Amino acid sequence: MKEISVELPVEPPLEVKSLFLPVPPGLMEESYKKDELVIFVGPQHGGSGHMRIIVRLKGDVIIEAIPDPGYVHRGMEKLAENRLYIQNVPLLERPAIMDCANFNIGYVRAIEKALDIEVPERAKYIRTILAELCRIGTHLYDAGILSVFLGHTTGFMWPFAMREMICEAMMRVSGARITASYIVPGGVRRDVGRDVLEYIREVTFFIERKTKDFEKIFIMNPVTAARLKDVATISKKDAIKYGLVGPFLRACGVEYDTRAVEPYEAYDQLSWDVVVADEGDSYARFLVRVNEIAQSISIIRQAVSILRSMPEGNVISPDIAEKKKKAKKAEGEEGEGEGKKEVKGPSDVKGKFYRYYGRLTLPPGEYTTVTEAARGTVLYTIVSDGQSTVPYRLRVVTPGWLYLKGFMESLKGCRLADLQAVYGSFGYFPPEADR
Amino acid sequence: MFRENMVHIPFLTDKILLFQYGGSAVYGNPLVNVFANVPILNFILAAIFWRPLFAMLFIPGLVAIMLVLGIIIWFERKITAKVQWRYGPLEVSRSIGGVIQPLADGMRYLFQEVIVHREAHRPYFLQFPLISFLPVLLPILVIPAGEIYAIKTPYAIQIAIALVALIPIVLIAIGWASNSKYAYIGSMREVFMYFAYEIAMIIAAMAMVVAYGSGDAFVIVQKQSIVPGILVNPFACLVFFVATIMATARFPFEIPDADSEVVFGPFVEYTGIIFGVVMTLAYEKLYILSLLLSILFLGGWNGPYIVWLGDLSPAIWLFIKAFVLVMVFVFFRTVYGRYRLDQAVRIGWSSLLALSFISLGVGVCIASVGWF
Repeated sequence: MKEISVELPVEPPLEVKSLFLPVPPGLMEESYKKDELVIFVGPQHGGSGHMRIIVRLKGDVIIEAIPDPGYVHRGMEKLAENRLYIQNVPLLERPAIMDCANFNIGYVRAIEKALDIEVPERAKYIRTILAELCRIGTHLYDAGILSVFLGHTTGFMWPFAMREMICEAMMRVSGARITASYIVPGGVRRDVGRDVLEYIREVTFFIERKTKDFEKIFIMNPVTAARLKDVATISKKDAIKYGLVGPFLRACGVEYDTRAVEPYEAYDQLSWDVVVADEGDSYARFLVRVNEIAQSISIIRQAVSILRSMPEGNVISPDIAEKKKKAKKAEGEEGEGEGKKEVKGPSDVKGKFYRYYGRLTLPPGEYTTVTEAARGTVLYTIVSDGQSTVPYRLRVVTPGWLYLKGFMESLKGCRLADLQAVYGSFGYFPPEADR
Repeated sequence: MFRENMVHIPFLTDKILLFQYGGSAVYGNPLVNVFANVPILNFILAAIFWRPLFAMLFIPGLVAIMLVLGIIIWFERKITAKVQWRYGPLEVSRSIGGVIQPLADGMRYLFQEVIVHREAHRPYFLQFPLISFLPVLLPILVIPAGEIYAIKTPYAIQIAIALVALIPIVLIAIGWASNSKYAYIGSMREVFMYFAYEIAMIIAAMAMVVAYGSGDAFVIVQKQSIVPGILVNPFACLVFFVATIMATARFPFEIPDADSEVVFGPFVEYTGIIFGVVMTLAYEKLYILSLLLSILFLGGWNGPYIVWLGDLSPAIWLFIKAFVLVMVFVFFRTVYGRYRLDQAVRIGWSSLLALSFISLGVGVCIASVGWF
């Protein structure tokens, strides 16, 4: 159809200038002259999260989507430069609410790599269980968000109720429902009892059962399938080009999972499959994560049964204490020296943590770890100068930030109503991406 | 004037036998009869019980609509909560399960600031929510509820359908007066949906009018005294049912005011009590269409006659049928998400339209064979 352009005496409103939009110059003026409509989805919008998506519409079809993230940027990397290594543990699990264990494992492994500590076997399994619990929790959270974006409120409430069980399990393990700060360099904070393990095992059965109900009402719902199938399809080539990560890369047919490629913790000792789909559309991205829940459940059950046969205790590496002694000797430190009795009991307000980790320093160098968080690869790089008790530089690259480009590219050619469906299918989480 | 054509409700106007003592019976005098002797009150009372006014004010008119609004909004939230492992509204009036929650919400709306933004067409922006009540309430004039009716006409169904079809125009005007991008997109969605369902709906209704041989609700209901219309022409019923969901923006066709996509579409700029008014619009339309659906397919006010209710008895049967239908419509919220606009329009123009033509064929066949 031939396009007819008309010169109209319209200009974008003045407010647009004061918004400092990250758009090419002249885009607003150009679209106002054409038959295009530029709408801002967010940051105050029910279906945008903490970000603005500038959508160029032609009729009902999106021709371009430009992200305007950064509304929840907290300067985590800079904050980390002013905190002790151990104090960064609670800080760095904040980006993803539910995914705390995976985010901690990445950071803690970087420290362990620097100090060359071997983590006790029991701690490895506990970490794996916690990481998989967090993965299930995050996938359920994202499924809920996807449902409510599609207007399916039951599909929103049920996964959130299931996630409640995981919060409860996390609470029994660590004392906190979310953001557990449970994984510390050298191991985990405390051991997990037999009753807690039993509870975690029960939770997996509960979630398995309830996922079947959820499948009936939402996943296999004809409306859901109609909304998600063949929407925002990304080819295998494009997925690699845009740098998609995690389940979204696997949904495009790329069999890549950091847990399988560079196994960490106990992943190489357990049997599980990398979930892959070939379609690359929104439905595949959703189904991959649904199937990953089943895989995680299987991993947790295996780990629980192995943990049961293991002797209790020994969840923190003895190396951590030795490292401290060595460091003291080298410094010829005063205060709580070797000869002096270490303060314990009620007057020891700073506690074991401070004594073990307060003066933790890493040898000079750069340490990088890659971890498979629920939404994809999370990368930590610690640069240490070898003297200070704080990192010289800490780099965090979160999965959200990595797949933002692919998310925006996939929106091209979709309809406006698909924006939320694609958003939900990616499970994009602005606090995670903005850090 | 208010002496004939009155509503007869025995339990309000007749004397009630309280008890018998020996040979003499003691009667209670109903309050209505007491008021009938008071000079000015009797006139007001007579006016209220005058048939056309009673139909407009009570059933199936204003009071019935308010009852539907009050209960169905609560019911919708409660049933959704039941399915979703929650309690639903509870804090307001805990002992009766939070039934007065919509009332509390209404109060809150009433005391909220009504913001009229700078870009709005101020007079229209404020007028249209009130004007919207015209096409909602006017069909009540021609929809009879048994012996309670305002206007008796052989074209009742046609007139009601035509008036209901005016409601989207008000919504589109609301979106236009809001002068905002989201409101614009919302009203465009409304326009597309309007064309998607309206034709199929009109054809389905006309199929039934052809089958019954009249648009008069009395004739239609009388013909359904043995077999309801849903069994005679199920296609028309299905089309009308789906078209009603589309027309009232219920799930899975909650497209014009999709809250996560276009933030309530045409109503995005409304605040305070005016938002409360426009929000109820879809429910009122749902009630009117449910009345039509129960008259056309479910035998209207046919039901066991209750003596002490008098004229109110058939009206209440009609109300119950419509109410149950509204309950069914609001229940879909828990089961379905929402379709995309193009998918809904495709459904409207292909399968729904085809079904409506089939139903028209069935209707013509019935008309030629003759109603049994």
